[in-house]
Amino acid sequence: MNKLTSKHRKLAYVIAIIVLLIPVIWLGMPSTGEEGSGGELAQLRVQHELGESTLGDVDPSSASMNFVLLGLRGIATNLLWMDANDYQKKKEWAKLRSTVDSIILLQPHYMKVWDFQGWNLAYNVSAEWDAVEDRYFWVKEGIKFLNEGVTRNERYPELDWKVGNLHGQKVGRSDEWRQFRKFYKVDPDTERYEDGPDPEINPERLDNYQVAKEKFLIANEKELKHKQHLQMRMLFRASPWHAQFDYANAMQREGKFGKQRTDAWAQGFKDWTTIFGREEFITPKGPIVLEWTEDDIKNLAARDDNITEEDVRHWINRYQDTSNYRFWRTRALSESETETIDAHKAIYDGEQLFRSGKFDEAKVQLEKGMELYALVLNKYPSLLSEDLAIEEGLQAVILWRYIHDLKGMQVPASFPLKPLWNKEQGRVPELENDLRRRYGIQ
Amino acid sequence: MSFDPIPYDLLDAFKHFLSVFGSTMLIAIIVCLIVGVLTRGLKGVGDVFRGILDFFVQITHVSCRRIWSLTILTVRESLRQKILFVFIIFAVLFMFAGWFLSGAADRPDLQVQSYIDFVLKAISWLVIPIMLLLACWSLPEDIRLRTIHTVVTKPVYRIEIVMGRMLGFILLGSAILLVMGSVGYIWITRQVPESAQYKLVSKVPVYGDITFTDREGAPTTVGINVGDVWMYRSYIEGATKARAVYKFEGIDESDAINDKLVLQSSFEAFRTHKGNMDKGGILYQFIFVNEEKGLRVPSRPLINKEYSDNVLEINRKIKDDNAEGEAGVELDIFNDLIDKNGNLTVEVQCLEAGQLLGMARPDLYIRTPDHAFLSGYSKAVFGIWLPMVIVIMLGVTISCFVKGPVAILTTLTIVLVGFMSKEYMTEILSGQMQAAGAIEAWYRLITHMNSQTELPAGPVKVMIEFVDIGIINFLWLCQQIIPNFGIFSNMREYVIKGFDVSWDAALLPGIITTAAYILPCLLVSFYSLKLRELEAK
Repeated sequence: MNKLTSKHRKLAYVIAIIVLLIPVIWLGMPSTGEEGSGGELAQLRVQHELGESTLGDVDPSSASMNFVLLGLRGIATNLLWMDANDYQKKKEWAKLRSTVDSIILLQPHYMKVWDFQGWNLAYNVSAEWDAVEDRYFWVKEGIKFLNEGVTRNERYPELDWKVGNLHGQKVGRSDEWRQFRKFYKVDPDTERYEDGPDPEINPERLDNYQVAKEKFLIANEKELKHKQHLQMRMLFRASPWHAQFDYANAMQREGKFGKQRTDAWAQGFKDWTTIFGREEFITPKGPIVLEWTEDDIKNLAARDDNITEEDVRHWINRYQDTSNYRFWRTRALSESETETIDAHKAIYDGEQLFRSGKFDEAKVQLEKGMELYALVLNKYPSLLSEDLAIEEGLQAVILWRYIHDLKGMQVPASFPLKPLWNKEQGRVPELENDLRRRYGIQ
Repeated sequence: MSFDPIPYDLLDAFKHFLSVFGSTMLIAIIVCLIVGVLTRGLKGVGDVFRGILDFFVQITHVSCRRIWSLTILTVRESLRQKILFVFIIFAVLFMFAGWFLSGAADRPDLQVQSYIDFVLKAISWLVIPIMLLLACWSLPEDIRLRTIHTVVTKPVYRIEIVMGRMLGFILLGSAILLVMGSVGYIWITRQVPESAQYKLVSKVPVYGDITFTDREGAPTTVGINVGDVWMYRSYIEGATKARAVYKFEGIDESDAINDKLVLQSSFEAFRTHKGNMDKGGILYQFIFVNEEKGLRVPSRPLINKEYSDNVLEINRKIKDDNAEGEAGVELDIFNDLIDKNGNLTVEVQCLEAGQLLGMARPDLYIRTPDHAFLSGYSKAVFGIWLPMVIVIMLGVTISCFVKGPVAILTTLTIVLVGFMSKEYMTEILSGQMQAAGAIEAWYRLITHMNSQTELPAGPVKVMIEFVDIGIINFLWLCQQIIPNFGIFSNMREYVIKGFDVSWDAALLPGIITTAAYILPCLLVSFYSLKLRELEAK
């Protein structure tokens, strides 16, 4: 039996509490935010970047929600995911959007959630709507959602890359790219945005690919500190420079062949060869650079006794093939030349004339384009390793041949792009189908 | 709109109630008689009937004054238990609601739906659990503390105690609901931006019946399935003879708004090719048909805006440019296009080749003069009041025969099943869901047998089927007894979508469902309390 009186027992409890509090305070005292403040655990958390604030902005509502749910966060999240799927199935878009926001409150630092739902809004939900304005609205929603993810998660370069990809590929390469690129600069909600872009998407009124390039550059910057798990490092880091090429190419697709377009290609060439090309990438046989000189080869091989110059050359070659490095260098270089510009312009004009039913003028322009394009391909044969370059030439030939059919004329036995036409016959049926859809050809 | 307001069949519901309630009562009486005879011999038979009579005696002699006193007592006790603290949670929720609801801020029209949804959900999620706890805890706690003796020693019937409790909680819940509902209404109207205030209405639709014709013009009940997972809508092919035929009944001049007939539609497009993307939607048109007079009057071509309201206002006097030999003849929509019985037939035709237009019954309706938003909103709040009443009745009833924690768990289970699993149960029982029985599923799982393979014949199969039938029957029983709380959630959907709550399809089934539980709850609670020893163990 305990022989202590009640008073003594209580005193013993108080002493025990005080004694136990000492390690608790020493271990668990929260940090005040200043360096070196807080208990042992708080300091370790800062040291190893394990605190929530080191991951990105902390949303108070998210933190309070997780606190209130105690250990039921997983269950609540699962229920919300099921609800979100159901709302999507039943096309309850407002509810889907608010449910997705609720999921994010519960899983603010889970990259896949941001990635999946951002993509879902920009691609799947957007495609469910019929009007292009509505589709663009949901693309914006996807971008805004991912932007939010970026501010909350500063350690995922993948998210910045995804944002860049939405600005670039989704806006610039969708079926509705013409309208999307227009809306990117003048939002369809003209009343709200006063004939300008949505400031949350495009505050500086740039081209979508220029914004994509900025986002990819941020992703590259972050990637230096935090490893990405999206794709091969070299390809990941090539994204901003591809966005620059896309920017130049988009102007071409829209029939803009002026100085701005030529400057964009020149800038692309410069970026590609002096920034990306000079970046070191680690291969199984040591570091390499894609834009190399004989001195580079010697220096790189000299870094390790086990690596020969032959090894370095081999791996540079492989990496150049993987990134299509040589093609893009040649393309960017060739696009700054008058001959190439004239070839593109003539083919583009021919297509436009064909679209408006002026077949004779179209034939003349296409013939001119084909001749110039053949000269470009002869000068830069490495361009024939890329689909876009091949398809541009083939499309010109298909339209030109179709005009002959329409006019009841015999297609000449010899024509400027005949070697390309003969070599790439396998691509022709699909391209013909594509052109049929585009121009309503029967 | 994703719900289909099908009018409630009152007679069918009444017959169903009688069969379930009658057969349950019959079984209860037979069981009581058997137990009575076994324990007391023939005297037991008399005792059973005296017991039955006792209920009728008490129910016909209840005193409103005594019930009212007990009601007030219940309210006072609840207030003493700091029930009004619920308003603090309510206030906190509303103060921070903006944080959680800022998602669709760029589209005020979508935001309105989120606001209404939030308010109605917040109210029901606060009120119903609180009333459930109070209702389940009150009587067992009185019995445990023996304060029940201060009541039962007075000249009151047991049925009056039960009714007093129920009415007290209902009164209290109603007051809380009224306050929360009013605050919620003010919050919504203040929160919704000026540009979206027009969305705060209660549309009063008149729905028709829908049939289809195929691309050759032959009648059919459904259109084309385009492979959408959600098979809610059926599609008609553009530039063919395919039509969706809506037949409206009982239309007259009172349904006009400013002397115009207003048709509102929300069809869904399915494109097989891009088509013209700049137009903003697929072209379609309505054709008004009066077969008696041989009239077929097409509307102008319209552009379908998806997931938003497409409104067509038709002037009372319209011109029929298609009339043979009488170009431009003027028609009166109510006298010429609507037949003398008030029937109007509207055909929907998609005008673009290679594109399809999808529709379900509620996707086209005649919009009659709107009611105020308050009308729909207050009915939706009433839609929270009704399940609250059921929860209170169930809670008090269950607490008459078990202790507080058990009563809470039992009632909570019933409520959760009623809210979440009723549809699932119906799907299993109606055969809509191709599911094996519980034991069969378990057997297949452990023997790695797929669902297509027949169970091997033999005693195991017989046993499995026997037990599974028992489980299915139990499920059927649960389905009959557990209230369908989904009916009440539907009322919220109406208001969220900007409609007035339908009397036929939502309010009436809600009221009838609630009313159906009054008598069974009174019966069960009366006999439970009568037979229960009111002494804490």
